[in-house]
Amino acid sequence: MRLFLLEHIQNAYHSLRNTRTRTILTTLGVAIGVASITTVLSLSGGIGQVISGQVDALGGNIAVVRPGVQAKNFDSLTNPTTEQTYTTSTVTENDLIDIQEIDGVEAAAPIMIINGSVKDSDTTANESTIVATTPELADITKLPIRDGQFIDSVTNRDTAVIGSKLSVDLFGTDQSIGQTFKVRGQSFTVIGVLKHMNDPINFNSVDFDRAALISLESGKSFHEGIAQIQQIDVRAKNASDLPAIMKKVNDRLLKNHQNEKDFTILSGSDIAQPTSRFFFAITSVMTIIAAISLLVGGIGIMNIMLVGVAERTREIGLRKAVGASNRNIILQFLTEALIISLLGGFIGYIGGYGLAFIISTFLTFTPAFSWQVAVAAFVTSLFVGVLFGIYPALRAARKDPIESLRHYH
Amino acid sequence: MVTAMAKKTSTPVIELKGLTKHYGMGDATHHALNGVDLSIEKGEFITIMGPSGCGKTTLLNILGLLDHSNDGEYFLDGKSIERLSSAHHARIRSQQIGFVFQSFNLINRLNVIENVALPLTYNGMFRTKRLKQASEVLKNFHLSEREYYMPWQLSGGQMQRVAIARALVSNPSIILADEPTGNLDSKSSHVIMEELSDIHKRGNTIIMVTHNPDLTTYASRVIHMLDGKIASDTKIPITLEKSVTKIPLSMHHTEEKPPKKPAKKRKAKAKKK
Repeated sequence: MRLFLLEHIQNAYHSLRNTRTRTILTTLGVAIGVASITTVLSLSGGIGQVISGQVDALGGNIAVVRPGVQAKNFDSLTNPTTEQTYTTSTVTENDLIDIQEIDGVEAAAPIMIINGSVKDSDTTANESTIVATTPELADITKLPIRDGQFIDSVTNRDTAVIGSKLSVDLFGTDQSIGQTFKVRGQSFTVIGVLKHMNDPINFNSVDFDRAALISLESGKSFHEGIAQIQQIDVRAKNASDLPAIMKKVNDRLLKNHQNEKDFTILSGSDIAQPTSRFFFAITSVMTIIAAISLLVGGIGIMNIMLVGVAERTREIGLRKAVGASNRNIILQFLTEALIISLLGGFIGYIGGYGLAFIISTFLTFTPAFSWQVAVAAFVTSLFVGVLFGIYPALRAARKDPIESLRHYH
Repeated sequence: MVTAMAKKTSTPVIELKGLTKHYGMGDATHHALNGVDLSIEKGEFITIMGPSGCGKTTLLNILGLLDHSNDGEYFLDGKSIERLSSAHHARIRSQQIGFVFQSFNLINRLNVIENVALPLTYNGMFRTKRLKQASEVLKNFHLSEREYYMPWQLSGGQMQRVAIARALVSNPSIILADEPTGNLDSKSSHVIMEELSDIHKRGNTIIMVTHNPDLTTYASRVIHMLDGKIASDTKIPITLEKSVTKIPLSMHHTEEKPPKKPAKKRKAKAKKK
């Protein structure tokens, strides 16, 4: 290459500095587009990180069994029936007992979510979840107890452990041990309060801060003695045995279900799948909207570059006369467009993260830093620069030197 | 065919055979060049004269590879340039040809030294080296103290001298000048012509298009064109004494002081900022 890139960069810097205001404004156009993409991607990445982070923090030896077959297809998002929120569970208490007996399984706990409201004598706590489970849950998901104790095999059937926020909502205090509340007319005594955790997004899909945990026995009593299990958490003794155990669980459940695959076993990042899939859809739509703003920024680049080419017709003619080849001219103008777009991309990337952090103060998770977001910001701005810079550059290169030199301002 | 073959042994720098250039088509065809045969030796100072529209500027543009002929052959240093790519043409322009224009064509946002150094960019030379070489050329034109002036701070004569310096910076074998004095008063014109004949004396080939018959006194060969054809081609024997009759170059530079003043004031203002 006869003319070094550095020369083009120096040259472009020079001419862009000469038209400072419009360069800044055009850069801003690109920056806003890249910033919105960065914000959306970093926030959605943050959600995924929360869940996989939890699984990792628990030792990476957790698998979950869920009723029904989870649709892997993106189309199923628009088809809520496959999500099976309201259907009768296919996972039974028998399955739970069988799983607990499998070699290598340290513990297994069911999660049975019960519809109903939590009531004090006069207050009803909205947004609360009633979860029937077994004592093992505290162990598997490491639920921290702040006061009192967790439900265990010897505690009374009508006792409950509640989340700290629910405690405040119901009784106005988080010191609520000994208080009673009612679920569908049946009263429960609080024997323990959970520590405030503030992670409503987790693999159990339960916000434990707002949950009332009761024993599986009490839960079944709301359902005519039959357990309605939404999820079984399985914990292996060794993380390395997890795949083998999942295989065993699968075989065992198939046997229980007459060889019908009406359940799903997940581990690792797959556990976050239903949430991720939903956010994936939101992210995609928002990214497309952000991309449109980037498109507008790109059109801004093309516009400004065309103005620059027209203004500098004589300069182009002269440069050609003193020996610039068409390629030199193309590179000169393309470099200018790329500097605008890459600078915009950089500012947008920084600004996008700034915005994401501001937004995240209202949310329960922080935006994720990942190389993918940086690469996405870089590649999109590079793409925009080339896409919208190539036409003005070609136009500049195609100018006839004689005509250009005759051109007066 | 009118040729002035001074040195028959060497290959001519430029050789044209039946060069034709026309615009338009059918009845409206206008022949800007209609079969031009020309041979130019190294070290000649040629002025091309003729009325408007006789094709002299077209000829100059074709010689400078800015334009293409429709027919005929063009040999530069004995090599045909017709089949070369446009990138190759650009390389020849950057290495072998220097242009001087009537309207100077300096880039306004670059200062004097950067303007002069511009052609070297396309020779793949680094910035420091470019500026050094440009500075040396400017020294020859007594413009050293103007290096960091902007073009709009210079007088017309100074601007044209900068433009000539720019044409010379990459040591081209041919200088093409299209009415270099067309925008200048008579005094500045003579300064410019002195510069050009100085360059000529150092062995450069100069081809200049002009309307002004007075300027032919500087040339070693005068070509008259009419209707796209060479009407006459006269070789003038170089008489060194001729230049003595003119005002010496050094005096011009001292005389040219007045336009410097406002420029200096501007510069001082800029410094205060």
